[in-house]
Amino acid sequence: MLMALLIFAAQAALIAALFFNLVRRRRTERVLMVKEQELQKHRDHLEALVEERTQQLRMSNMEMMQAKEHAEAADQMKSAFLATMSHELRTPLNSIIGFTGILLQGLVGPLNDEQRKQLQMVRTSANHLLALISDILDISEIEAGKLQISRENFDLRAAIDKIVQTCRPLTEKKGLRLEVAIAPEVGELYSDARRVEQIILNLLSNAVKFTDAGSINISCVAADGNYIIRVADTGIGVKKENIDEMFKPFRQIDTGINRMYEGTGLGLSICKKLLELMGGDIRVESEWQRGTTFTVSIPAKGSQT
Amino acid sequence: MAAGDYVYGIHTGERESDMKSRILVIEDNEQNLYLVKFILEKNGYEVCEARDGREGIEMAEKIKPDLILLDIQLPVMDGYAVARTLRTKPDLATVPIVAVTSYAMAGDREKTIAAGCNGYIEKPINPDTFMQQVEQQLCLRADGGEGK
Repeated sequence: MLMALLIFAAQAALIAALFFNLVRRRRTERVLMVKEQELQKHRDHLEALVEERTQQLRMSNMEMMQAKEHAEAADQMKSAFLATMSHELRTPLNSIIGFTGILLQGLVGPLNDEQRKQLQMVRTSANHLLALISDILDISEIEAGKLQISRENFDLRAAIDKIVQTCRPLTEKKGLRLEVAIAPEVGELYSDARRVEQIILNLLSNAVKFTDAGSINISCVAADGNYIIRVADTGIGVKKENIDEMFKPFRQIDTGINRMYEGTGLGLSICKKLLELMGGDIRVESEWQRGTTFTVSIPAKGSQT
Repeated sequence: MAAGDYVYGIHTGERESDMKSRILVIEDNEQNLYLVKFILEKNGYEVCEARDGREGIEMAEKIKPDLILLDIQLPVMDGYAVARTLRTKPDLATVPIVAVTSYAMAGDREKTIAAGCNGYIEKPINPDTFMQQVEQQLCLRADGGEGK
């Protein structure tokens, strides 16, 4: 009897233990399932997130492509606009400069002194406007990488002489001495005649513009396959800290008296770029209130590139 | 500028008494046409005019000019096409054509020469050198070709 009771108790204990075990396992399983579900939720969320980010990336890539296309189209439009603008601006200027010129030539009839004086003012302003248009066109072409340098043989000495003749009336008007020293060996240059003349004219007219007393000296020698052209003036000069600024576009250095000198401030940066394209270079030395010297070097037989 | 002012007057005074060179100006802008015509006539040239490319070619065939001044941006037919067409016509193939144009972008000069022009004058024209540039082309022709 006792034995039977004992066996029953043991069985009951075993069943209870099994039952508790089962309950615990169920609980664990339930916890595990909940965790599993959470994990799945996270996984799903992560997948959605990746998908979303991929979508965003795809979008921004497309936007970038579109922006690039827009930028290229805008650039082309800018070039076309400049070409048209240049043409449109020159057409009325042709009339202004042309009719002023023939009136001043006396082709239409005699002028009195006052008429002549006023027409000369119109001519000066019209030529100034033309120079501004040309400068803006040049710098745009340079920045677009579209400016081409042509090459032909031409007489450098004659070119310098011609430019000196153009500038002489201005130096005489300001009471400046204009000294010219071209070495005997200076002769033919294989380069872009128009652009070389543009550079020399720019340096010489700058010298005249920024010099109020003293002299301007232009010299040219041949050295190591290069022509070295030097334009020196005794003008206002440039402070040391401003020298690097001189060749940047639109930087007419503040001379203390703001905008006293007219000009776009494009001339020197154009000269520098042109010379780079020709395989030459330009350097400047200057002393504030003492004067400035520009030294240009151009390969006599064209650049190697 | 006073010294150089009358240079062209002197030139033409001597040369125009017996033979008058005939110049065809193809230009659509009223004022520019007036300007060029005025300068040329004052210097003793006979001037014919055309306002567009096709009219220019017809006029050239009709009057056989000694020189053609050709604008590039023209209605109906542009200056490049005019120059190319004129160069295909045997009796006009040697007539000097000078492009007078305000196209001044890189390569424009080369394009006019490639189309068959002999010279290139950039607008705005410089009235102090314009006649010299024109007469230079006329002289080249007089030296090279046989008579007018």
